[in-house]
Amino acid sequence: MAAVDPCDKCEELLQPYLDRELSDAERAEAELHLDGCSYCRRRYRFEEELRRFVRQAAVEEMPPDLKQKLAELRTSLF
Amino acid sequence: MSESAPTAADTRKLAQQARDRVRFEEEALELSDQVYRMARRLAGSREEAEDLVQQTYERAFRAWRQYTPGTNLRAWLLRILTNLNIDRGRKVQRSPDLQPLEEGDYYLYNRLEESGREPNADQDRVDERLSQDDVVAALSAVPHDFRDVVVLVDIGDFSYADAAQILEIPIGTVMSRLHRGRRILKRELADEAVGSA
Repeated sequence: MAAVDPCDKCEELLQPYLDRELSDAERAEAELHLDGCSYCRRRYRFEEELRRFVRQAAVEEMPPDLKQKLAELRTSLF
Repeated sequence: MSESAPTAADTRKLAQQARDRVRFEEEALELSDQVYRMARRLAGSREEAEDLVQQTYERAFRAWRQYTPGTNLRAWLLRILTNLNIDRGRKVQRSPDLQPLEEGDYYLYNRLEESGREPNADQDRVDERLSQDDVVAALSAVPHDFRDVVVLVDIGDFSYADAAQILEIPIGTVMSRLHRGRRILKRELADEAVGSA
């Protein structure tokens, strides 16, 4: 069986790593590789920042008149 | 016996119900900013998002007795919203892209690097290379089934279990759609930022 490239393996672990879904052993494996591999380390750091950026960029404030309309839908006040 | 003479117990029960209802409506309205934020990314346009949120609250206020106090009200509201969104003719849209996806998780970084936008290695500032508009456009290009999961987990901060319950799909499906949805998102972001490959 062909050996798996350690950077390919680390790429596969990226999402579950950031989601904290890896087992202790898998997490240790990823961290060991990241310690010695600046290529993967940069990409992990980028992904982490990307997620934060997407979350912030996706925010759009609710129009004030919609908020007013929702308040008017209340039935308990009538 | 006269119908117009409620007992003290009846009166207390009615008063309690009225209080529960007011509390429910107040708590639901406090979450409206978060509900709108997700609706905006799930629906195609601002108008659709506004309609969706209004319908969600109309339905929630009618069905308030079905909510169990102490459980996750935000998830309960999102479940109504995603159901309404699916009912709104989503079926006519193209089905999820099931072609194999070649791009891995490093794809976006590598594309930015190739394009010469690659950052100083010690200051990987995403916001210097991508704009808010890039993100909004890229998210809207992700097929619905994948986008629903990405929006709930990555923007709404719901757990896999909550997302599974909201969308009424198995948790394994949440995970696989999330994995694929994020990769599609990165492909779209790369196209937005540096053009199609």
